[in-house]
Amino acid sequence: MADPMKIRANAMGDKVIVKVLMSHEMETGQRKDSAGKTIPAWFIQQVSATHNGKTVLNAQWGPAVSKNPFLEFRFSGGKAGDKVQVTWTDNKGEKRTDEATVG
Amino acid sequence: MSRCIELASACLGATALCLTLAAPAAAQQSFPGIGRAATPAEIAAWDIDVRPDFKGLPKGSGTVARGQKVWDEKCASCHGTFGESNEVFPPIVGGTTAEDIQRGRVKALTEPVGRTTLMKLSSLSALWDYINRAMPWDRPKSLSTDEVYAVVAYILHLGDILPGDFVLSDATIRQAEQRLPNRNGKVKYEPLWNLKGKGDVTNVACMKDCPVGAILASYLPDYARDAHGNLALQTRAVGPTRGVDTSAPSLNAPPPPPTDPALALANRHSCMACHRMEGKHVGPAFKDVAARYAGKPDAAAVLAAKVKSGGAGNWGQIPMPPNTGLSDQDLAVLVKWILSGGS
Repeated sequence: MADPMKIRANAMGDKVIVKVLMSHEMETGQRKDSAGKTIPAWFIQQVSATHNGKTVLNAQWGPAVSKNPFLEFRFSGGKAGDKVQVTWTDNKGEKRTDEATVG
Repeated sequence: MSRCIELASACLGATALCLTLAAPAAAQQSFPGIGRAATPAEIAAWDIDVRPDFKGLPKGSGTVARGQKVWDEKCASCHGTFGESNEVFPPIVGGTTAEDIQRGRVKALTEPVGRTTLMKLSSLSALWDYINRAMPWDRPKSLSTDEVYAVVAYILHLGDILPGDFVLSDATIRQAEQRLPNRNGKVKYEPLWNLKGKGDVTNVACMKDCPVGAILASYLPDYARDAHGNLALQTRAVGPTRGVDTSAPSLNAPPPPPTDPALALANRHSCMACHRMEGKHVGPAFKDVAARYAGKPDAAAVLAAKVKSGGAGNWGQIPMPPNTGLSDQDLAVLVKWILSGGS
């Protein structure tokens, strides 16, 4: 099981700014280990965020994203106390969902 | 006057102890009419250091929640919301695992990866003291004592070291330190601490058959001496660093040419850049090479071929570049010289 994401969501006027720090190796599949063997690719492919159950962000990622990725986005129509959920799925099918309350 | 400056500079670099003891003595007794004794309030304002045993730590407390508030206001713009920013300085948070916290030693430090503050930190006083005296960068010492506690608690929470409801205070800081991921990572290097010992010097004084004169490995050629103007005029006239007067000709004459013709040849073909006659340098010592080839009938031919074509693997992984520009005549002289051990 992957480590939890760190999520911070803050309301600014009618917008909510969401910052997410995910914990993931993000192997490109192009690096080699010290023995010269290729390290298999392992990266987040799909990221989605919901606000009170409604999807506000959908992203397809590739191996170009760094290890432990940081994601910031904003959406309108949120207010303090709302729930924001972020989910990622990687190319091994592993999945992680975390939730934060808008502050 | 010069003694006065020496004394002052000695005190500047030292601790508050020096201030308390030396300042009144220097100002009032040794140098009447110069300065005055520091008042207790002035000394207290300077004396803010927190030692590893937490001596000097002021009383106070801060919660993770308050730390988050302070962090978002004053720290996050440079260090990132989660302390992850890699923009100007290495990240503060990251690279530590739950096993590291159990063990007290960060495994990632043994790997060639970037380092974060929490990976390296072994005593919590250092983090507390640094934030207290130097942060935020644009307004150092502007945080209250409780805010410093709160920010430290928040940083440790970001690193999953402290739970979210932890209250960091002068009473609980030791407890928090017992969870630092790298708390057992500090090594005391005994020779540097032992005043009566030998220090960390490993060289042995040469008492017999000592080499005469030093071999100058690199020097600034005379024509480049004033490439940056006169260094003496660009350096302050006080303090330990002085510029050399580069308008005058160099005192370091170029090294005299070696008297041994074979050695001169070796120097000219840059053999001596990587090899020494004795002792491994970048490449193997010539004496070792001679020893390996000793007694072999075709030694000269084999070695000559190797010098010419270069290679790697016989003496380690550092490759020797091919020497195709070497004439056969010079090569023969060099090989003979190497195999004979330099005679």
